[in-house]
Amino acid sequence: MPAFDLREFLLLAPEILLAIGGLALLLAGSVGRGVPGRVAASLSLFFLVATALLVLTVEEVGPEPRLILGSSFVLDGFARFFKLVILAGTALTVLISVRFVDDGAYRAGEYHALLLLATTGMMFMVGGFNLVSIWIALELMALSSYILAGYFKRETRSNEAALKYFVLGALSSAILLYGASLLYGATGELRLDLLAAALPEAMVTGRLLVPTGWLMLSVGLLFKVAAVPFHVWTPDVYVGAPTPVTAYLAAASKTASFAILVRIFVQGLPTLLPDWQIVIAAVASVTMIWGNLAALTQTNVKRMLAYSSIAHAGYVLLGLLAASVIGLWSVAFYLLAYTFITLGAFAMVVVLERREYAGEEVSDYAGLARRAPWLAAAMLVFLLALTGIPPTGGFVGKVYLFAAAVEAGWTWVAVIGVLTSAISLYYYFSIAVQMYLKESTRDTPEPLGSPALTAAIATCVVATLVLGLFPGPFIEFAQAAGLPLP
Amino acid sequence: MFDWAHTIPILSIVCYLPLVGAVAILAFLRGSSASTVRRFATGVAGLDFLVSLPLWWAFQRDGELFQFRESAGWIEAIGARYEFGVDGIALLLVLLTTFLGFLAFLSSWSAIQEREREYYIFLLLLQTGMLGVFMSLDFFLFYVFWEVMLVPMYFLIGIWGGPRKLYAAIKFFLYTLVGSVLMLLGILALYFFNGDGLLAWPGLGGDATFSVLRFHEIASQIPPDLQFWIFLAFFVGFAIKVPMIPFHTWLPDAHVEAPTAGSVILAGVLLKMGTYGFVRFSLPILPEATRELLPWMIGLSIGGILYGALVAMAQKDVKKLVAYSSVSHLGFVMLGIFALNPAGLNGGILQMINHGLSTGALFLLVGILYERRHTRLISEFGGLSKVMPAYATVFLIITMASIGLPTLNGFIGEFTILVGVFERSWVWAALAAFGIVLGAAYMLWMYQRVFFGPVRHEENQGLRDLNGRELACVLPLVVLCFWIGLYPKPFFEILEQPVEYIVQRVDPGYAEALAAARPGELPAVVAGSGE
Repeated sequence: MPAFDLREFLLLAPEILLAIGGLALLLAGSVGRGVPGRVAASLSLFFLVATALLVLTVEEVGPEPRLILGSSFVLDGFARFFKLVILAGTALTVLISVRFVDDGAYRAGEYHALLLLATTGMMFMVGGFNLVSIWIALELMALSSYILAGYFKRETRSNEAALKYFVLGALSSAILLYGASLLYGATGELRLDLLAAALPEAMVTGRLLVPTGWLMLSVGLLFKVAAVPFHVWTPDVYVGAPTPVTAYLAAASKTASFAILVRIFVQGLPTLLPDWQIVIAAVASVTMIWGNLAALTQTNVKRMLAYSSIAHAGYVLLGLLAASVIGLWSVAFYLLAYTFITLGAFAMVVVLERREYAGEEVSDYAGLARRAPWLAAAMLVFLLALTGIPPTGGFVGKVYLFAAAVEAGWTWVAVIGVLTSAISLYYYFSIAVQMYLKESTRDTPEPLGSPALTAAIATCVVATLVLGLFPGPFIEFAQAAGLPLP
Repeated sequence: MFDWAHTIPILSIVCYLPLVGAVAILAFLRGSSASTVRRFATGVAGLDFLVSLPLWWAFQRDGELFQFRESAGWIEAIGARYEFGVDGIALLLVLLTTFLGFLAFLSSWSAIQEREREYYIFLLLLQTGMLGVFMSLDFFLFYVFWEVMLVPMYFLIGIWGGPRKLYAAIKFFLYTLVGSVLMLLGILALYFFNGDGLLAWPGLGGDATFSVLRFHEIASQIPPDLQFWIFLAFFVGFAIKVPMIPFHTWLPDAHVEAPTAGSVILAGVLLKMGTYGFVRFSLPILPEATRELLPWMIGLSIGGILYGALVAMAQKDVKKLVAYSSVSHLGFVMLGIFALNPAGLNGGILQMINHGLSTGALFLLVGILYERRHTRLISEFGGLSKVMPAYATVFLIITMASIGLPTLNGFIGEFTILVGVFERSWVWAALAAFGIVLGAAYMLWMYQRVFFGPVRHEENQGLRDLNGRELACVLPLVVLCFWIGLYPKPFFEILEQPVEYIVQRVDPGYAEALAAARPGELPAVVAGSGE
């Protein structure tokens, strides 16, 4: 164990600040009548922005990754990039939560505190360099998310979502931990780089320990990113959870899980490369196929977006599959674009949503182009981006992922990818059909915006279009997120 | 006198003027009446046509292959650039687009009565998308325009279409999207072949590129099996667009359900994007695969000619008949292109223009009739030549143009194609010629049933003849049909250089033989190709 330098704690200032913010909100929220929703939202926005600034200033990233605190954590471009993306996703989630927290009869401080704590977990996670520290961070994220999914305490569906999420999530965490312990047993190492170095020898001496270990580790990670066949929790949780929470799970939580999946595979298991590539190729294929096919028949927008997020997990896996420099960049760029696109789409769901889950059906979008042309246009942009049609960030991102797969010689997986994304047009455009081609009826819910929601949607639209038309600077930004490859 | 066109970014202006118009409608004409929007949009389209006109005179027939070049960095990290430029082929198609586009706007005045603001916005966006496709010399840029254009077309069919519009719109979108995403993989394969893997990725300091001209240059280095796969990927994308059988089934649906202007643009311009794709990309970049798969391409083309004609003959609906006639005519275009010799390519490309003019005019005319009677069934008409003499006359001229009667444009195109095809094989030529006979049969039979005989239906007695605006829509097309029919020389002149360039790329042996036969002519092209 290398010596412990207490000054290294300063380098964790962003995470510490965010955790303090979360705890402060939690305390303030439980004193007396708690903090009003808007105050809580403003406070969490403040903490998020301050944290982002700290990430940009304190965490000086040199060309070489810097291991800190006994190599539990690492400061590198990869961690920094994903921390910023996650913070952006959380900030947008806060914006789209304002109205819904106001509407609810629940304490606002609690909600925002949990959001900040989950985000803290994510930030530790993407910076984790040790299987144990990664696991603890992941649990901080997961436990906060379980509670968030059940935030509507008196709604059965919300309870159901939380319970399902908790039971299955705990199971997957256990599998992940067990896998990690097997690898530790075989190699005696928890640090990713040392683990990678020790694996070849352990494969010989440890026999079944290593394959069982890394497979269980993969199952746990693939569960977190909702890849088929470990996706069954997703639709129910996404539908049952309050919509802003769903958006948070689909964007920030997924981004963080992908980041750590990539880090563990690329930095911890590079010596098993050919083996896990086959597994990832299979998982990516069935995920793209099943996610898109299952989405075809959905009439509930949240459920459709849940399946769509499963499908998108499949696309992102293409970048990991390539296991190349381009592959890593493409994953980073795609998750950046995907954060804005998904949050935008879910923000539109919030706009139409009423209490008790009304306004979530595809038919509730009927005639939206007449009643709210700008909102309809925004939704159209998100739908195009989700399908992967220019001029949107979704298009550039998908091209990037497919390019990575083609370059690495996985053309057949790329073929599945392009064909399934063509199929996805059908269900995404069932919403466009309602918005532009159908007339509204008396029962159609009126869109109900708020300044915060409008700001969130506008940000997402602008980001989606800029990422599609002028992606240059953002690609360079994503390129800073490269990891040293085997 | 039009030299100034070379000094300004005229292609970008032509391409984005409609987009600016659409944004202006969105931003400034919010509360305006429908007629203001209509006039404004038509004005923008007309202006766009006027701006594009100088291209015709400023283009130097013996100058560089691609002219009016514009070049700027775009996404440096992946080597995608903003590259515009036109050769003779693209130039003709650009002019066809702005011209037919303007007429389509004009024809919509009475046909579109609801949600006009949105209609004209989508139509303007469509113009920008199509123009960009023909102007792009960067494959990435090309692909962006190629896909962007699908969205407004989808809404044009879906909102203002006929009874089965939803089905037709999504079918159109899905079909073309499936084709284009496979094409994207082909583009990526080319990109990585040229870039030779990771090291050339610009993010790592390499110089990977999507430049079409660069791909033309490396064509001979691409190994045959890679060529084969890329050709197939491109083929799916382009063949669906053309459409070649068996990928044509979206076309009758989309054509019949689309509003008149949509059909005009669909038939006149959109289908040409497929044939243009073959000419610009498949042939020069993948010559070996082209030659290897030639029998299949010829077979599908001839199959399309005959099948389209036979199915057209069986139609009860005039619009559907015209739609299937497109399948047949586009088969001709493809046949000419795949003759891989100057005559065939010249004819094929000219026939692209001809088909745009005559089929565009036919859709306009059918639309005019539909507005009056709200039916397009042949059996509902008869004897119209007595009630609408002017209409009948124009219709007759266009019918003849479509059949290929001498003095009209169709004849020139089909004849040149046949000359080219005959050079390759008389059997193909004979089969194709049989398609012309069938074409004459279904068009004349339809004309006879609609216009001759007694007026059998009371409703047809009081039909109004063409009004001034309608005549203004169709007459320019008639004039152009005669121009190409009587004096096609300017068109062949502008096509000569690009066509020889393509022949030289796709069939160097033929080009050498040609040079031996006509010493002194080819070097000019070779010089141009080095560009």
